Amino acid sequence: MATPIIETANFCKRYGSLKALDSVSLQAPPGSIGLLGPNGAGKSTFMKCLLQLQPFDSGSAKLLGREVGHEGREIRKRIGYAPEQDCHIPGMVGCEYVTYCAQLCGIPFQSARQRAHEMLDFVGMGQERYRKIDTYSTGMKQRLKLAQAIVHDPELVFLDEPTNGLDPKGQAQILELIQSLRKDHGISVVLSSHLLHDVDRICDQIVIIARGRVLVHDTLENLKSRRRGAAEVVVANRHDELIQAFRRNSWPCEKLTNGHIRVEHAGENLNPLLRLMSDIQVTPLEIIPSPNALEEMFIKALGENQN
Amino acid sequence: MALHDTHYKHWEGRHLGIWSRRAVIAGQGLKSCLQVRWMRYIVTLCWASALLQVFLLFFLGQLLVADSIVVKWLSNLNPRLQAVGAALTGWLEQHPEISVRTSFNLLFYYFTSNLLTLTMIAIAISIPHLITRDLSSNAIIVYSSKAIGRFDYLLGKFATVVGLMVLTWLGPACAAWFTGNLLSPNWHFFWHSRLALGHTLLYLGSSMAILGILALGVSAISSRAKATTSLWVAMWLVGNALIPIAHETKPWLKHLSFSYNLEQLGLAVFQIQNDFRAAEQNIPFFGDMIRTIREQSRSTFDAPNLNGALLGLGAMMIISIVIIVRKVKPE
Repeated sequence: MATPIIETANFCKRYGSLKALDSVSLQAPPGSIGLLGPNGAGKSTFMKCLLQLQPFDSGSAKLLGREVGHEGREIRKRIGYAPEQDCHIPGMVGCEYVTYCAQLCGIPFQSARQRAHEMLDFVGMGQERYRKIDTYSTGMKQRLKLAQAIVHDPELVFLDEPTNGLDPKGQAQILELIQSLRKDHGISVVLSSHLLHDVDRICDQIVIIARGRVLVHDTLENLKSRRRGAAEVVVANRHDELIQAFRRNSWPCEKLTNGHIRVEHAGENLNPLLRLMSDIQVTPLEIIPSPNALEEMFIKALGENQN
Repeated sequence: MALHDTHYKHWEGRHLGIWSRRAVIAGQGLKSCLQVRWMRYIVTLCWASALLQVFLLFFLGQLLVADSIVVKWLSNLNPRLQAVGAALTGWLEQHPEISVRTSFNLLFYYFTSNLLTLTMIAIAISIPHLITRDLSSNAIIVYSSKAIGRFDYLLGKFATVVGLMVLTWLGPACAAWFTGNLLSPNWHFFWHSRLALGHTLLYLGSSMAILGILALGVSAISSRAKATTSLWVAMWLVGNALIPIAHETKPWLKHLSFSYNLEQLGLAVFQIQNDFRAAEQNIPFFGDMIRTIREQSRSTFDAPNLNGALLGLGAMMIISIVIIVRKVKPE
């Protein structure tokens, strides 16, 4: 088994009387990990404590097999971090900034400059790299943050809300870049977000955090399999007929506002559903298995935690 | 198909050591400071001052050359100045080791003291470029997430402010010493003036370290550039304003001024009272001039308050370090 990229045991962080991280114990193998949680759940604190941007109070943590708190410089040489907020150096132009970040990681100037341009190409920045960062749009700044995080070729990248403030097209582009880091280049990614769609799209492991506790840690596939037996059916007509057929079978169902029919067929796969539809001769336009599984899991986990 | 040209490549080169990363921070800080037009003017002014110093040292050396323009020019002056010139020339010829040492020491004390003012202005301009802007722009988070520690970051920033002082203070002084000796008629000038160089290095080295720490402390105190610059200027000016008040009221108040403390340090290092005494004995004109200096000023030269100055500077440095430790954090 590969060395876990993140390993924590009873990891605690307090702000006065508030427990920001409450005995977090986690073992995450390499991959793309989505940190999910509502605002103030402790996602960013968890990241910052791991990166030693904030001190933790008790417990132990390892990143890439190295002890956090003892081998900080060595760890940071192998990881990248794109914080949520803007963090550029005023007055610098884009390519100069990324070059500087590469040099801070120990890359010699000539290589740093070449590497900076490669990374700016990778994140899709054109001639605007020669402009001062102060004049950049939110999307450009997000790309620049990603470029500075990966310029030194890390093994693990922490991305804190990387799609914040982006339009849908920009979000799609950034997510595609992040996905390619893991899929095509083997760089592990920890993505903190409150946008379930982002995490659902690119992560293969999910960690749900609330009130400083890890509520769920599993692969996305396993989480979705827990919600097997639900589906959304899209049909062109005969909605009522289909709903009645489902109810005759004692399958709870409802018509959604978008016209789709949501049904809980309780089967391991879609075969019973398809069989029923075939019996009543209704042809579906589309069947979406386990829709919103992540969202439901997320809400359920939060609900259980509150109870 | 990918939306972008996703040619990500892994990097397999050799990483540079921690000292080069610290140097990168220092270099970037210095570059950022020198982008300010006024900073470039001040640096130019400091080097112009060094040029003037070189000219004076050249003038001094030419007194030993019988047919030099300087000697001819002196012979055309009024009898009083001719006598001073002749006395100085005689002293240089008879006791070169004492005369060169004394004149270099006095000149270097004078110029380094004057360059302190320009250096203080240069630091005032550089203050926002040290830590202040990194705090306001959150760049401190980026530094903290790279393969450098807080100490490395601070060392880099300290090197920035020291580098700046090398440009405005130490550099011009050392260049003046070297060029002045190079233009002297005798290679022995290098040897005879070694003490002046030693004093300069000791005084400037310690002052630069002290000012560097104080500048970092002030720079870290706020994330607003105007606030930190104003604080530095206020500390400097209010400190200077306290000196005459302290004479009338409580003498320890003087030590709240870091420029006063540095001045005392300079007097203790250069020991110019010995130079005055030597000059007083050997050059009649100088003797007359020094005798006219008020008794109070002479006591300042004779007995600089080194202990008080070190105590004052030490307290300021401790406060500065406490501020740095408390303020320079990612969040």
